Amino acid sequence: MRIGRSIERIAMAAFAIALIYPLAGLLVPVGRWDWNGSMPGATADSVRISIVLTTLALVVDVIIGTPVAWWMARRHGPDRIVYDAILLLQVLMPPIALGILLSLSFGPTTAIGAWLMKIGVPTSNSATAFVATQVYASIGYYVVAARAALAAVPRQLEQTAGLLGLPPWRVFWRVTFPLARLGIAAAVSLAWVRALGEFGAVVITAYYPSGMPVQMWVNLQDTGLPAVMPLLIIFLLTALPLPWLIHLMAQNRAARA
Amino acid sequence: MLEAHVVRKRRTFTVDVRLNLVDGSKVALFGASGEGKSTVLSCIAGIEPPDGGEISFRGRKFFPPPMPLHERAVGYLTQQDLLFPHLSVEQNVRFGLSREQQQFERDWIDELRARLDLGPVWRARARQISGGQARRVAIARMLARRPPLVLLDEPFTGLDYPTILELVDDLITWQAALGFTLIAVDHRPEILRRLCPRAIAIERGVVVQEGTWEELSASPASAALARLLTAR
Repeated sequence: MRIGRSIERIAMAAFAIALIYPLAGLLVPVGRWDWNGSMPGATADSVRISIVLTTLALVVDVIIGTPVAWWMARRHGPDRIVYDAILLLQVLMPPIALGILLSLSFGPTTAIGAWLMKIGVPTSNSATAFVATQVYASIGYYVVAARAALAAVPRQLEQTAGLLGLPPWRVFWRVTFPLARLGIAAAVSLAWVRALGEFGAVVITAYYPSGMPVQMWVNLQDTGLPAVMPLLIIFLLTALPLPWLIHLMAQNRAARA
Repeated sequence: MLEAHVVRKRRTFTVDVRLNLVDGSKVALFGASGEGKSTVLSCIAGIEPPDGGEISFRGRKFFPPPMPLHERAVGYLTQQDLLFPHLSVEQNVRFGLSREQQQFERDWIDELRARLDLGPVWRARARQISGGQARRVAIARMLARRPPLVLLDEPFTGLDYPTILELVDDLITWQAALGFTLIAVDHRPEILRRLCPRAIAIERGVVVQEGTWEELSASPASAALARLLTAR
């Protein structure tokens, strides 16, 4: 019994070490770090672009995704199965395929692409294309995670609040959201990481303006690893700590519940 | 006046019950478990939709079409406390009251707190209190809004007998003071007898007998009902 437990512990420790081992790459000497890459200011610009535009994409995710997640958490029936299937398709879509499909479907030869161009909304290499691609890449993840959080709130509590005189939107704000908030925060952080780190789709639809992932790739191509490392550090610091903490808190809360 | 004709299909039978109750009356729905009593209350409260019939209370139509829950002004208590775990006891009790109502009903809330002995747990989180205390909080929360119609679906399950008697007596007092119409469901006749002077016996979803407890006991409509009436 004791030997079995020791083996389990060693195996888990080995697994955890293997998982975090790639971080050791940060310690590998690659030469003097280059903060500019091939173009002065490009690194700083990419950080600004990524943070501002990803925040915008996240706002869109939350505004559109939250009611969708709530609807999917509360409804059952054949129509929900159809929407589930569509959501899953979007989540499972390989990023590069998503980028190509977005380029084609919103290209100037399509009716919607031509109309958007006509009203002054460029559908490629623009901030709009950047944000739209990030939304397409992340909203499915947000909806799936937010739906799980909202579905965990007992329906009877919402009904009780309704019988106490609260209309549905106030029930959401006073009962559903407070009880699901940590799970929704985890969904937001998941969508943030997914959108911020999106490369495969964004590189096709919005090579410019370059966010951090595209700029890292450009720096790698043009200058090599010394120009990648500073951006990599900023990227990791922007993407990881907050979502990591939120997920840990959410898991801890779930374990205590 | 409550005028309800509830039709709701169940797996093995259809609940088809008519209730006509004048304002301020107290009636018990009595019968064995699974005979459709809770379904009737649940349909009147709006928790589950009836498959047919009509429900109206004081001239306002609850069904059809189904009236939204927040417009019904119904107090509904089940054996689940369903307190809001993220709120304190005080916040739970005040939950259904607007800011203005909270000011206006301060004395009433104080009375509920004192009578239900909620003072010691008033600031505690709802998830931290005992089952008996939670039931008292649920009663206080329901009554805080002074609902004109109160539906009790076995709300005393799991409580010790002295506590049940205490709560039943409190409810009788408040019913007399507030004048709400009361429909109570329980499988224990002694509790219902104390709470309501009249009873409606239900078997397999239909009313088999209606009257005072004495009338029911004198000539029960079925052997099953006779057994239930004498059960302890």
